[in-house]
Amino acid sequence: MAEIVGPGCPRGIPGNVEMPLAVERLPNGNTLIADAGDEAGFGSEIIEVDPVGSIVWNYNQGLKFAHSGRRLKNGNTLITDTTNNRLIEVTPDKRIAMSSDEWGGGTGKLSDGSHLHYPNEAFELGDGTFLVTDRNNDRCIQVDRKGHVIWAFEKELHHPHNGNPLPNGNILIADSDGNRIVELNKKKEIVWSYGDGKTETLWWPRGAIRLEDGNTVITDSKNHRIIEVSPAGKALWKFQTEHVDKFYITHATKEGTFLIACTDGHHQVIEVDRTGNIVWLFRNYRRPSPIHARLTNGFFKEVGEDGMPRHWVLATRLSEGGGKFIWDNNHKPSPCPGLEYDRPGGLFLQQNIAVKPGATYRVGAEVKTIDVKGTACLLIDFYDHLVGSLYRDITDMPSGEYFTGTNDWTHDSFEIKVPPKATFAQLRLAINHSGKVFVKNIMMNLI
Amino acid sequence: MALDRVISEKRKRQCAKLIEISKDIVRQAFDKFKPEELGITWTGGKDSGLGLWIIRQVCQEKGIPLPKAMIIGEGDEFEEIEGFVDRMKKEWKVPLEVCRNEDVLKAANHTLNVIVKVKDLSERNREELKRIGFDEDEFPFEAESYTGNHLMKTVVFNQFLERNKIKGIFQGLRWDEHPARFDDPYFEHKEAGHLAPEHTRIRPILHFTEKDLWDTYAAFKIPYCQLYERGYRSLGAKTTSLISEEGVPAWKQDLENTEERAGRRQDKEKAMERMRQLGYM
Repeated sequence: MAEIVGPGCPRGIPGNVEMPLAVERLPNGNTLIADAGDEAGFGSEIIEVDPVGSIVWNYNQGLKFAHSGRRLKNGNTLITDTTNNRLIEVTPDKRIAMSSDEWGGGTGKLSDGSHLHYPNEAFELGDGTFLVTDRNNDRCIQVDRKGHVIWAFEKELHHPHNGNPLPNGNILIADSDGNRIVELNKKKEIVWSYGDGKTETLWWPRGAIRLEDGNTVITDSKNHRIIEVSPAGKALWKFQTEHVDKFYITHATKEGTFLIACTDGHHQVIEVDRTGNIVWLFRNYRRPSPIHARLTNGFFKEVGEDGMPRHWVLATRLSEGGGKFIWDNNHKPSPCPGLEYDRPGGLFLQQNIAVKPGATYRVGAEVKTIDVKGTACLLIDFYDHLVGSLYRDITDMPSGEYFTGTNDWTHDSFEIKVPPKATFAQLRLAINHSGKVFVKNIMMNLI
Repeated sequence: MALDRVISEKRKRQCAKLIEISKDIVRQAFDKFKPEELGITWTGGKDSGLGLWIIRQVCQEKGIPLPKAMIIGEGDEFEEIEGFVDRMKKEWKVPLEVCRNEDVLKAANHTLNVIVKVKDLSERNREELKRIGFDEDEFPFEAESYTGNHLMKTVVFNQFLERNKIKGIFQGLRWDEHPARFDDPYFEHKEAGHLAPEHTRIRPILHFTEKDLWDTYAAFKIPYCQLYERGYRSLGAKTTSLISEEGVPAWKQDLENTEERAGRRQDKEKAMERMRQLGYM
């Protein structure tokens, strides 16, 4: 019998902000938030919240891991619907006024023959065209509402996010995997940059904004901080929280404060002033996945009506739309579950388990892989009381063996010490890049 | 065999200081518990060997008998370790109990990889499998598998405590050997659990790094098992322990920049790079 110590809420409740990624303060004082949704791919939406925290507008139809929502001059909202590889414009009464799916005669193709691939950000430019950061195509492009590519910067970028238009016509781009921020002019010359490639300086920066005084505020995501640098590259100010907080996008308000989307660090949007005080906060997160008293159905004997092993969650959020859960039905004595994946993101099968801080557990299972190009492994993430991960990088998490290629059934066990601030563990079977991984006989016990 | 390596006087004094810290932990243990309430885990490896060498010195200075030691026979032992343990047992007069899960060994016919049927096991072992959530009818006998580890080590350890009414047990763990150990306390009280007796774990050598340990072995001519000379850095079951660097003695390897328990995980760094591509994580 499964014993649930922390029940989860239904998935996809409209207005429940699970993972805020982009944020902006509107002229009317409300705040527009792009919510990427929960780990299982539900609940992505754009919400508009007023200063006292009431949701006054939302749009959630068909979105998958939407990364940004930007209010246009005409009152519509431009949305990068990231995992659906599209850009849409919706009206206040929630009609789609434009969709990139209609481009290229309904093929979704742009005038250069390409298709948007994991678009992360889109801003409206002065002439009504859009500046789109097309992450997995490693480019930043200017397109019109019909999909004509007017301008493109396609060199030297490595999974960029948040290409940001500047008043002087230049563009500030967070070259995230390049660990740097670059400013381009229209001739595609890099006229300013910050970051030397080292993760100590910038680690996976997600966005940058230029202040009126010429300084640049950078969301240095994996260093979980916001930093302000001068044109000469001198670090002037920084903000960070005590917990791990993978900030995504920072927006400067006209009051001189900063709105920060805190992703699933603590699932909130905060507004901070120059002294680091949080002056406004929006958080209405409810955790959809239950917390089990102990590892449950680790031998996968219980199967639900949907064909999935009961008590396990397929986490598709980072899957970029690919991959699936599979069973090896030929396995004796009973079928064993697995994951099949085919692209650079990741796919997880996971369960939340209550743990005692300071206690040591042994976790073990048997794992088999077939032609894994990236990595497959069992790993454990720990979460604090506000459901924030205690690790800033997946490779910091306690794990079993990292499997690559093809491996027959292998015993894999590892010991973990529960960190002091942990309230529950999330045990995951993970795969990234491509291949298949199977697992059986998962156990986790206090030692 | 003793390590033939010159250690400077300064370094020797540093090692002596580390030994003093350990002795103080051991003395505290003797203040808390009677000698017959204490036990020592010994594997024949470098860590528990250093611990035993230190505990023995404290016993000699106090004029008290060495507490009972246990060694786990998991059914997959190195002959070299067995030989070393036999020799040291005689030389140091160690009251040693070899602890085995005979019921499982019998069901496996003392043969690795033989399929063990759960129904052939004793009630206690069946109950132990239930306790860890094992939900199959059979398993292959392998000491380092999850079930093997539990039945052959954890169960045997708990039974040793029960049988001898042990209240405090010395362990040769070190902070730097594994991330899960990095903040282990010197004394850790464990509440009684289902099939597990209440006891205190005492870890006198936690503060020794791998390098400290080998320098101490050399400085004080402490005997060790010859397998370390062949390139093993960490010894477990015979079939799953791997040589880290063939022919390079453990103390000559790059102790600070490579993993003590690496083995098959040597390429973990590369795999980590691939995992880091998952930016969101």
